[in-house]
Amino acid sequence: MDDRFRVSDADRDSVTASLRDHFAAGRLAAEDLDGRLAAALNAKTVGDLRRVLAGLPQTAPAVRQASPSPPQDGPLERGYRRLLACYPLWYRQAHEEEMLAVLMTGAPQAKRRPGIAEAADLLWGALRIRCQPSAARGAEPAWRDALAILSVIVPLIMVVSVAVNETHILLPGLPGPGWRFAHGFLPWALKGLAAPLAMGALVPLALRMRRLATLASTGLLILLVSLVSSQQSLFPVGHIILLPAVGLQTAALAASQGPRRGLKILMWKHAALVVTATLLVCTRVILPDPVARLIVLAGIGAAMALTSPLGRWLVLLLAIPAYPLFFFGMLPFSPGVGWGWDLDFLPSPAALTVACYLPPAALAVLAAVAARRASSRCGEPLDATGA
Amino acid sequence: MREPTFLILTALAAGPQHGYGIMTDVAQISGGRVRLRAGTLYAALNRLVVEDLVEVDREEIVDTRLRRYYRLTPHGTQRLAAEVDRMRRHTAVAARRLAVLGGTA
Repeated sequence: MDDRFRVSDADRDSVTASLRDHFAAGRLAAEDLDGRLAAALNAKTVGDLRRVLAGLPQTAPAVRQASPSPPQDGPLERGYRRLLACYPLWYRQAHEEEMLAVLMTGAPQAKRRPGIAEAADLLWGALRIRCQPSAARGAEPAWRDALAILSVIVPLIMVVSVAVNETHILLPGLPGPGWRFAHGFLPWALKGLAAPLAMGALVPLALRMRRLATLASTGLLILLVSLVSSQQSLFPVGHIILLPAVGLQTAALAASQGPRRGLKILMWKHAALVVTATLLVCTRVILPDPVARLIVLAGIGAAMALTSPLGRWLVLLLAIPAYPLFFFGMLPFSPGVGWGWDLDFLPSPAALTVACYLPPAALAVLAAVAARRASSRCGEPLDATGA
Repeated sequence: MREPTFLILTALAAGPQHGYGIMTDVAQISGGRVRLRAGTLYAALNRLVVEDLVEVDREEIVDTRLRRYYRLTPHGTQRLAAEVDRMRRHTAVAARRLAVLGGTA
């Protein structure tokens, strides 16, 4: 207890009471008692009271602290706790009570529930804290590292897969499924490479200026969405994969430390697995059968997921752009995975993209809710990915 | 250094303070212009702790609630001093030029 702290009347009373006890026990003479009593009644700080009891067998007066009793749990406090539940578990374990104390102190007596601005501020704080490196753990959470790696790998995948596919267009003599375009090949090939090359160009930019690269990536995403929405199939590579891939790259640049960190922790076995998966799966050259591709991809994904939490996050995040490939590859009428929307009855590619993501998104939300319920029932944090 | 960060460090320069104390102090220093809310404050404190500018001083139970006090680290004090120095130089230049401008206007 800091000596500079001010003391209350209750503290002075307890010290004067113990002074009288010491006098009764014979440790203090009468004049001594008077002097110390006067000093105690005039004491302003903890240090003053400590000096009053100097030489007497007693510990220094502590500011009386109420023992923690169970919280009152009014509606306002319940509301705050619900908002604070959005904070990561490790942060809540360290800071929830403290934040609640600050919130309740600042709230006027008649307040019944958290205000909108306050709620928005708390949620914003939760988001920022999730994106910050954590002080408590001393190591990056696995998902942030996975995103950092993906900021390097996703453009690489896109460039490799598009380049291989375009080569197939340019050299139609190669074995494998034929392409549906009757137009001149070279312009189409170059247009197809434009977006992936733009993604690839963002990587060295992000090594220097990550924020600028994030903005550029967002701009690219918006540009692609607007192009796709206007129904022009400029890009032979399915818009279906390109949009989620650019979205993933944008998220990776925004929420992680970018390629600088990604290149540092990139393990060559991860990179090799991912590139192999790309060549086997995205190019349709080596394995024309969609079922075979699915099996191979599942095998590689399982192998990566078994290695570490980082591997699990990589598989989970890479499944996002990869999923539409299989969704459309499995469909009976197979519109060619976006190689050209020449079928009039199909809705726009943008609508199709959103539609194909709805089932897994709904499943993911249900799974997250179930996991939350299960963990709150068992009283333990459930974190299958080890993040 | 952003303004809320600067104000938080300034508030802590007076001595160890708890969350609510920092909020009221910042409001007072900025003349009521900058009003920190709990979410923003704690996100900023988390970042400052990670960057080793601020650390936890002690904890107390007051009125049945936990109260945690924060204080500046030596590194934090240095950073604040450097920032003050930088701003002072900039404002000195600006003031001089404004004085000249005011003189000729």
